[in-house]
Amino acid sequence: MIATLAYLALGLLLLPALAPLLAFLKDGRAGRKAFLTAIGIAALLLTALAAYVLYTGTQLLLPLYDLAPGLGLTLLVDRLSAFFILIIAVVAFAVAIYSAGYVEHLKSPVRKNLLIALMSIFVLSMVLVISAKGMVGFLFSWELMSLASFLLVNFEYEKKGTRKAGLYYLAMTQLSTVFLIAATGVIYAQTGSFDLQRVAFSSPFWASLAFLFAFLGFGIKAGIVPFHKWLPYAHPAAPSNISALMSGLMIKVAIYGLVRFLLTVLPPGPVWWGILLLTAGTVSAILGVIYALKEHDLKRLLAYHSIENIGIIVMGLGLFEIFSAAGLHAVALLALGGALFHTLNHALFKSLLFLTSGSVLNATKTMNIERMGGLSARMPGTAALFLIGAVSISALPPFNGFVSELMLFEAFFQAYLLASPYLQMLLVIAFSVFALTSALAAACFVKAYGVVFLGVPRSKEAKEAKEAPRSMLAGPAVLAALCIVLGLFSFQLFAIAGFSFPVPDLLVVGLLLLAVYALTAFALRNVGKRRTCETWSCGYPSAGSVAEYTASGFSEPIIRIFDAIFLPKLTVEREYHDGQKALFKRGTAEMRLMRFFEEYLYDPVARAVEKAAAFVARLQDVDLDLYVAYIFVSALLLIIVARFLI
Amino acid sequence: MIDPVFALDLIKILLVLIVLSAALIITRRDFIALTSLYAAQSFLIVLLSVGLFAIDRNPLLLIIAAITLLSKVVIIPFILTKVQRRLKMKREIEFSHLSPIGAILLAVVAFFFIYALFSGILSGLDKGVLSTVVSLAICLVFMGLIIIFTRKQTITNVIGYLTMENGVLLFSLFVAELSLLIEVLILLDLIMLIVLVALMAFGIDSSIEEFHSQLNVLDRWLGREQR
Repeated sequence: MIATLAYLALGLLLLPALAPLLAFLKDGRAGRKAFLTAIGIAALLLTALAAYVLYTGTQLLLPLYDLAPGLGLTLLVDRLSAFFILIIAVVAFAVAIYSAGYVEHLKSPVRKNLLIALMSIFVLSMVLVISAKGMVGFLFSWELMSLASFLLVNFEYEKKGTRKAGLYYLAMTQLSTVFLIAATGVIYAQTGSFDLQRVAFSSPFWASLAFLFAFLGFGIKAGIVPFHKWLPYAHPAAPSNISALMSGLMIKVAIYGLVRFLLTVLPPGPVWWGILLLTAGTVSAILGVIYALKEHDLKRLLAYHSIENIGIIVMGLGLFEIFSAAGLHAVALLALGGALFHTLNHALFKSLLFLTSGSVLNATKTMNIERMGGLSARMPGTAALFLIGAVSISALPPFNGFVSELMLFEAFFQAYLLASPYLQMLLVIAFSVFALTSALAAACFVKAYGVVFLGVPRSKEAKEAKEAPRSMLAGPAVLAALCIVLGLFSFQLFAIAGFSFPVPDLLVVGLLLLAVYALTAFALRNVGKRRTCETWSCGYPSAGSVAEYTASGFSEPIIRIFDAIFLPKLTVEREYHDGQKALFKRGTAEMRLMRFFEEYLYDPVARAVEKAAAFVARLQDVDLDLYVAYIFVSALLLIIVARFLI
Repeated sequence: MIDPVFALDLIKILLVLIVLSAALIITRRDFIALTSLYAAQSFLIVLLSVGLFAIDRNPLLLIIAAITLLSKVVIIPFILTKVQRRLKMKREIEFSHLSPIGAILLAVVAFFFIYALFSGILSGLDKGVLSTVVSLAICLVFMGLIIIFTRKQTITNVIGYLTMENGVLLFSLFVAELSLLIEVLILLDLIMLIVLVALMAFGIDSSIEEFHSQLNVLDRWLGREQR
């Protein structure tokens, strides 16, 4: 019965791949709605399935297809997979509703159909990755996911910068696959099996090698610093509903891979695994939020926050490894619980934020927040939904983001239990950075919400913006409701799932907060003299949008504090009329923030690859005789190697 | 009929002679000798098939012998001779990458490694002649490769390819399915014949690279003709 349900859900997810056929109809709107409904129903079925597995703890084995003898695509849903399937299903459901309105904004019908088809394949591939039983199925679905998302990033390929983003993304995603294949190779060499089960490594070296490959492979895909550069390019380039899927779900699939390897494939690791994860996570979290602060492109700002939140999740995994290695299993479980809960929460509020920013983009035709403003009056529904997302991501009680970050903070508090003083010191430093990250994230969303939705419009487009259609409000509303529910009822939900984490009952806290807010609002309305003026105009009568606090102005003090990280670079070029450089002709001066990782990591690597390519090209550009000689030499080498191997 | 033990000894002698012929092809410069050596090598393979027939009694072996005799001993050498006459060249003067002495030394090295590998793998299997045959056949393929990349003239390259093909034929006589082999054999010979006929028709009188530039009509229009 349950298995039939699962097959039905997968079939329904595959069905919209036929959407391009709608091009043969005169008006495919009804067809598109039907296909999106199929995705929605599939998502609901998957939610039910995941909830069942999560609650009962049963394992579900679903044979799918045999690629070759011994290389079967078989699905296995256990509690971990079910948790991630739940995340995918919930977000996909909301995105399907949102897309019903969003897709119709696209100009060509062919594009509309194609977007739905690719979207369904993308969601299906993510479900397949998460429920793959063996590495072959995992890598197959992983590649399917990469290709589907590559096509989606390139969806608006005629726009400036999109193709670059697409290629950048493709290169990075393939690099991640290379590392995953290497990890698979190590595991296969040790066990002779592709199954994702506990591997008995012949020596700790092989276990650590497999861990490193997995960390690099999943780290690139998750956007951990310094492998993050593709993320702020690719996520904003895709259509907004896809950005929500990519930022909300796809990078979580990488987190799933990492958790799967740490929990069920690799043996309990040495403490340095945890240190590596914690350090990478901390650096990602703080740099992500600092980069987000200076960003004025709304979708790119959100993309940088994805790096920050992935950093927080990886920090939790690092803590899990460190405490596990120290034998402190209760604290380790708290850290893991925090990391996984934050994964769910981030999927919810980040998708919510991307979807609502998509509505803003549709209404204002710009992503530059300096050209927005005053949208809360014009798009009240979208503004309220965005606010819920912003408050959740800023980890304010009683929303869900608060609970997961609190759990991680509580795990950090247990640092004193560790024996090594160095480890304690590391945890205290990471803890402080984490606290700073949370504060900066809140500051960043004050900027984002304040500049986009409050004040007066700063452009004609913002002035004429209209509220999004109903479906584009209903989709995000589902996510917003879940953000609130998961926050308020977190204590009860953990109890149902069978965990007793030391989190406060936020239902009580929430009610108290509500009472305080109500009292404050009442007091402000009825006590003392009131003067109404516009936000950001500092109490003065309105002087129009030019007198407003801008996004640059808001973030300037913070950017000044982190000057050392942004590294502004000044380039001046001058031309003179004479050789003595006395008579100035013309000149240009440019001040920009240094792209540290690009200039010091990516570009050198790219140059090295180009050099290697030039060498290979020299080998290639020869006459026929030399080609035959190459064949001769390679065949002979093969024979010599075979001689020593056999 | 011949005694099987004698036939086996005969086969071994024939195998050595075949490799010897390939070694001679690597070192000789004059085209007439090269063609004759190729014909002789093919004839040795014909004899080998007949010898094998004495042991196996498989009529397909006789068919293979007949096809080889007709195509490789008579027709192809005949056409090769015709081409040479038309080209008015008698000796190969230039070599690429390696001189004939270097080439034969390389062949010896290759032979050593191939024999070391296959005698190790196959010595446990059957009557002992198999490992020798496999090594020699693969060695013949390698020698054909050496001929191709050390010679500049297209006609010698063709002989290199033909030597490789003889290696494959030798290998398959002992290892592969015979009925399939006949089909492959006819196909390969047809390809060779087409190449040779093309040589005659277009008059490739030097290397393939130079012939390419002749084919490039655009270059001629633009006045960038290389020849």
